[in-house]
Amino acid sequence: MISFLIRYARHTASFCITVILWAYFMFGYLVLLPVIFLPFYLWEKNAPAVFQRLNHLHLRCFFGLGRVLIPKTRYRIAPGVRALRSSIIVCNHISYLDPILLVSLFARQTTIVKSTFFRVPVFGWFLKKAGYIPSSPAEMFGSAMLGNLEDIKAHLAAGGNLFVFPEGTRSRDGRLSPFNKGVFSIARYCNTGLKLVWIRNTDKLFRPGTFVFNAFEKNTIELELIASLNAEDPIHRLPVGAVADQARKIFAEKLASAIEGGDVRENHRIKKNINSE
Amino acid sequence: MTRQDIEKEVRKIFLKEFEVENPELDVNLREAYGFDSIDAIELLLEIEKFLGSELTQDEKKLAMDIRTMNQILDYIEMLASRRAAATEK
Repeated sequence: MISFLIRYARHTASFCITVILWAYFMFGYLVLLPVIFLPFYLWEKNAPAVFQRLNHLHLRCFFGLGRVLIPKTRYRIAPGVRALRSSIIVCNHISYLDPILLVSLFARQTTIVKSTFFRVPVFGWFLKKAGYIPSSPAEMFGSAMLGNLEDIKAHLAAGGNLFVFPEGTRSRDGRLSPFNKGVFSIARYCNTGLKLVWIRNTDKLFRPGTFVFNAFEKNTIELELIASLNAEDPIHRLPVGAVADQARKIFAEKLASAIEGGDVRENHRIKKNINSE
Repeated sequence: MTRQDIEKEVRKIFLKEFEVENPELDVNLREAYGFDSIDAIELLLEIEKFLGSELTQDEKKLAMDIRTMNQILDYIEMLASRRAAATEK
């Protein structure tokens, strides 16, 4: 009976924390950002850069609030990740929290976003104004795509980062999906190296398929720079598909070592999924 | 540089970069081999290497309408002749 009551209380508290966090998140996009951003939108030439900074601040506050409300989740962001500038960042993708965590880390950032998000009222408008890049074939074809690539080049030259999840969508079972080679072509076009960043445990805080934050389990979210594939490295003379394969291999090795050295729960979950293949 | 030289080079690029062996000259590359706009960008970078000079934005835009191998060959021939003319001047 007592354990049932404790479980019930925890679930209720987790639900309330979730509502508070997502309410703040939505309030930011529906009220705070429009009010602050509007003057910049009207009079500032470089509106995307301003929006990226505002978005960054908003999401820093979101995670700040998250740290207060969910103290059992800690964050270990490697200094090498925090210091990234003018970089194309390639990450594994395990939770919806991944992109917003990355935005909270970098003041100037852009990414490739599923085109469906651009159709969401208000939010889609912000995505466009922030200079995010739609992944739809219509926008990534012909001169529109060349325009996007030139925008990315200018963004990187100005110190911004481009982060991309080459798996295309988040993993629901811990396995690594095949990599799309688009980001590797973009890196070659922009003559920029790739920074491979390993994200861990965001899926424990916000599990795929659930609405409620897992607020009462001890957890450490980690971001680690696991490799740099510099533009001048011999690997970049290989076909783009081979570079993508090499990058995926590095992530696969990291996943394997996480299974060996990680916590038991994660080991069982991923091992079970890999064994069932 | 003859059209045959260009064709040989382009076939090499297709094999190395896109793992497409001997693409037919008049088929739609997108439909036949799944050649997409990201591949087109990759092809442009290889063409730059082949010609030994960067392409202008307008030249890149022209390439975005290419659908077949023959059109690629026409495109490279046009670029090569433009560069040859510029060198003569």
